[in-house]
Amino acid sequence: MLSIGVLAGLVTAAVAYFIPWLPDAAAEEAGTIDNVYWLATIICIVIFGIVVGVTVYSVFKFRARPDDEEDGSPIHGHTGLEIFWTAIPTALVTAISVYSGVVLVQNEQADPGRRLVEVTAEQFAWSFHYPDEEITTGELVLPVGQQVELKMTAKDVIHAFWVPEWRLKQDTVPGIFTRLLITPTKLGTFPVICTELCGLGHAVMRSRARVLDQAGFDQWVKEQKEAREGGGGGGQGKELFASAGCASCHALADASATGAVGPSLDESLQGKDAAFVKAAILDPDAEIAEGYQSGLMPKNYGDTLSEAQIDGLVEYLLQATGGG
Amino acid sequence: MAAVAHTEHAHGDHPPVANQSSRVDARLLGIYLFIGSEIMLFGSFFTAYFFARVVVGAQAGDAWPPEPYHLPVFLALLNTIILVTSSFSMHWALQSIKRNNRQGLIAGLTLTFLLGLTFLLIQAREYTRIGFAPQDLAFSSTFFGLTGLHGAHVFVGLNLLAYALVRSVRGHYGPKAHDHLGVEIPGIYWHFVDVMWIVVYVTVYVL
Amino acid sequence: MIELHEHHEPEAAHHAPPGKPRGLRRLTAAGWLRVSWVAPLAFGLATGLVYGARAAMGLHPYWEFPVLIVAWTVIVPLAFLIAIGGFDYWFYWISGRPTRPEDHSGHGARSWKDYFRINTDHKVIGVQYVVTTFAFFVIAGLLAVFMRAELARPGMQFVDNNQFNGLFSEHATLMIFLFVIPAFAGLGNFVIPLMIGAPDMAFPRLNALSYWLLPVAGLMFLSAYLVPDGGAFAAGWTNYVPLAVEQPDGNLFFQMGVQWAGASSIMTALNFLVTIITMRAPGMTFWRMPLLVWANFATSTLVVVATPFVAGSQFFIMFDRVLHTNFFDFNQGGYAVGYQHIFWFYSHPAVYIMMLPGFGIISEVLAVFARKPIFGYRLMALSLMAILVLGFSVWAHHMFVAGMGPWLRIPMMATTLLIAVPTGIKVFSWLATLWEGRIHFKTPMLWAVGFISMFVIGGLSGIFLGAVPIDQHASDTYYIVAHIHYVLFGGSVFTIFAGVYHWFPKMTGRMYNERLGKLHFWTTFVAFNVTFFPMHWVGLRGMPRRVSDYDPVFGDWNMVMSIASFALGASTLIFLYNMIASWRSGPIAPANPWRALTLEWQVSSPPPIFNFDEIPQVVGSPYEYGVRGARHAVFNGSRAEVHEPEKVGH
Repeated sequence: MLSIGVLAGLVTAAVAYFIPWLPDAAAEEAGTIDNVYWLATIICIVIFGIVVGVTVYSVFKFRARPDDEEDGSPIHGHTGLEIFWTAIPTALVTAISVYSGVVLVQNEQADPGRRLVEVTAEQFAWSFHYPDEEITTGELVLPVGQQVELKMTAKDVIHAFWVPEWRLKQDTVPGIFTRLLITPTKLGTFPVICTELCGLGHAVMRSRARVLDQAGFDQWVKEQKEAREGGGGGGQGKELFASAGCASCHALADASATGAVGPSLDESLQGKDAAFVKAAILDPDAEIAEGYQSGLMPKNYGDTLSEAQIDGLVEYLLQATGGG
Repeated sequence: MAAVAHTEHAHGDHPPVANQSSRVDARLLGIYLFIGSEIMLFGSFFTAYFFARVVVGAQAGDAWPPEPYHLPVFLALLNTIILVTSSFSMHWALQSIKRNNRQGLIAGLTLTFLLGLTFLLIQAREYTRIGFAPQDLAFSSTFFGLTGLHGAHVFVGLNLLAYALVRSVRGHYGPKAHDHLGVEIPGIYWHFVDVMWIVVYVTVYVL
Repeated sequence: MIELHEHHEPEAAHHAPPGKPRGLRRLTAAGWLRVSWVAPLAFGLATGLVYGARAAMGLHPYWEFPVLIVAWTVIVPLAFLIAIGGFDYWFYWISGRPTRPEDHSGHGARSWKDYFRINTDHKVIGVQYVVTTFAFFVIAGLLAVFMRAELARPGMQFVDNNQFNGLFSEHATLMIFLFVIPAFAGLGNFVIPLMIGAPDMAFPRLNALSYWLLPVAGLMFLSAYLVPDGGAFAAGWTNYVPLAVEQPDGNLFFQMGVQWAGASSIMTALNFLVTIITMRAPGMTFWRMPLLVWANFATSTLVVVATPFVAGSQFFIMFDRVLHTNFFDFNQGGYAVGYQHIFWFYSHPAVYIMMLPGFGIISEVLAVFARKPIFGYRLMALSLMAILVLGFSVWAHHMFVAGMGPWLRIPMMATTLLIAVPTGIKVFSWLATLWEGRIHFKTPMLWAVGFISMFVIGGLSGIFLGAVPIDQHASDTYYIVAHIHYVLFGGSVFTIFAGVYHWFPKMTGRMYNERLGKLHFWTTFVAFNVTFFPMHWVGLRGMPRRVSDYDPVFGDWNMVMSIASFALGASTLIFLYNMIASWRSGPIAPANPWRALTLEWQVSSPPPIFNFDEIPQVVGSPYEYGVRGARHAVFNGSRAEVHEPEKVGH
């Protein structure tokens, strides 16, 4: 029986170790979370090995022949054994509990030098506001190595923010602020995924998180500010493009936007006039581009943006796509 | 509880008499458990009230009730007295039939019913004059939710009392324990409604 | 039979059954004919009521659809229940007429027609439950198959986003409220009165009513598909606000369906509790009750205490939608996360409601097919109680990332991980029951042993999720979907199958086909694991749940899981065929084909209409296999040698 159990344990351990269960950790907090994960894994391998070992062994060793009418041994219990398998699991789960608590407290230590980014989720787009730099974007760009505090809320229903490589996840709730503290440790581009059912567009509510080195980050900030202030007229429109979250779903070269949920504006606005663009913003479902779904683009821009703002946005879009 | 081996026979077209493995009467146990589940239903409404008042309200630092609303605390106190009195009259009704006093039973049930009806009518009148509607704020939603849930339970209780009253007039109840369960069970429900009102009153109007 | 009788007529001569109604009286007699005209009438009445009330109060528009839906879903089911005869006896009582002595003529099933009417026999009701719940199992399973068809490849092929969201919402709702919870209620309904030596449940009429609420609730959930604009409810079975409040009107069918299903559940639980407490055979102390009875006792307590909270949670959503109250609107002082607390305060105990009866079934099956006493009986019973109590203290582990007060996560993590201890006690005790047994691998035993390993996997993934740091990563991903299905399918559904096969001979009087049973088990076991195990991996790697589409990098594994899920669906057909064919023409079953000791096996298969000719006397434990001369109960007042088994084992 021992050998079956050991074998089961080894197979499980191999499965646990050689298959890449978790995405590569790209944040400090992810590292400590993965430690908890491995502690739980080791404990579970042992328990699973025991359970499988006893089960498989019993199934073969104690199987009765079909015509056997005898009963088994009338063993009613064994106090020592029962105490054992009450006490040991209690100790094990307490260990997981305590270690998890320590990691939790550790991960939630706010660093005084942290950067603040305000995150707003809405159906079905993200927007990220950097209060210090005074820029608003549709994707989250961060410098490596610095702790960032994400102060998050939602406009309409509950959404959730998750980057698998960072492990941390938190719901965004209308009416309250929720918070995450993340210290990215690796450069790269990672998906920002909404993980709380928020309606039709839940599956496509995604954005990107990009981690750059300090120089790269500063350069990006500079580009965003310039894009806000000028860069070919309609300055207010360009800022709106970022703050209204258009970049989460649309690609637009002039704004360095690469969203792929909706049609690329560089392509789809070719040869179109102001009236078309305005209608497309105010009544997105009136005309759907080929291959794309209705009901995904927010329909409330008419409420959330003023007439003047929309006109400025339209002007900017036409100019940015070389039309008008 | 070990009992001597009974041989409760069936006659083929009716069942054997079940063994009674508890001193508690099954129907009384049933009503107590039902009341338990109703207490939990009120619990969920109290929880919503707690969230509106303590979790959200306290954070905002506002007064409760929020300006400019006020609750008719004194009138609700009068209503409380009416309902508590009805519990006493209910108890009197039950005691009466236990002593085979049919007149007392009918009088007690009638009084309980009338007091309960008065309570409900006063509540209804207050609803129209209270100065806020359920749609206004979480405060008013939870207020109407809790008092409305209670009012619905009072309405059910009045129905039970009415059935019991009709049957007492027709002389269906007697002094033996199993002959007045139809009074005792509505009585237990009515006491629950009364106690629940005291909790609602204290939580919503007083605290 | 316990009955209310204030005006007791002396035990007169046994009455002949009343004659069948003739002519016009057929239309007013309880039954489907009466339903056929009462239900449409009630529908019209409800519509007219809403229109009239709104017109009188000057509320425009008069035809307000949400208000109409609420009126329909309250009045029409009530009318149905009245028409089919669920309240007849009580109306008679309410009207103040003298109580009729019960003539028992309507009790029991003598033909197939008796299964389609109000019937007070717990055995009939049990079968009604099992058949109805399996019908919904098939429907909900088909919804899952549609989902997997859509998810087989990245991109949208068959349904659109809204329809997909509706699919998983209906799938979960039907599986939970119309399959797992009531299937256990049905099996328990059939078995428990027999197992404790009672002639029926404490409240047979209430029992009948609680069954008929089930098709009402099921039809209500499915009716959501009839709503024109937006269709079925699509906010998940969890129906979080604010999404639930802004969803199309179909959501109201979910809210109201939950009320009816919840009412059914509470009524049954009440019945179980009173029956178990007050109607056990003489000599059956709590410590001589079979573990299935203990399990249903614990479950029923959970139901009575917890279910009102889900009723409350849906009431609040309904009020916010229809009456425009502000329980959850933060602009008006509401608290959206508050819904989750109220909802999960029921829904976590709900998962124990969906598992504890299964634990009871496994204990029964293991003892019988390993021919051994259950190891550590007392601790097994106490662990059920421990799970019951602890089960109320862990609800916020569903909300670790919900944005509630951060301090709450630590105690909830501690209690969540701690609840693994009584559960572990049960698993180890079952393993010890196998040890040194004489194991016969009939179909019920296959399911029981399969259950142990699958439930352990589900339970272990639960340990991972109980640790907050891990949950921060895994929450709302396919890891959760994997965990859910290992504990609910590999757990609850496996035990339901075990129970159905185990008691099939008792319920139908026929033996099921053993080879088909084994085929069913193995095809299900393999297909189940191939479908759900990879979900652990795709979830941790980054695939969220409740999505109609996903990152194409997961395409291959989704295809594998989808194909396996089709196989899983197909394996159910083997089961359905076996059940139907065996019931119709399987070999006649003896009274005790498994040579079991518990009371239900000591009467014929199927049992006599009133269960026992006389109530047996319980003289020992129900699990004394291997102890020579041990008896669980004696009949006929016989003074057969009663051997109190010495405590073997140390």
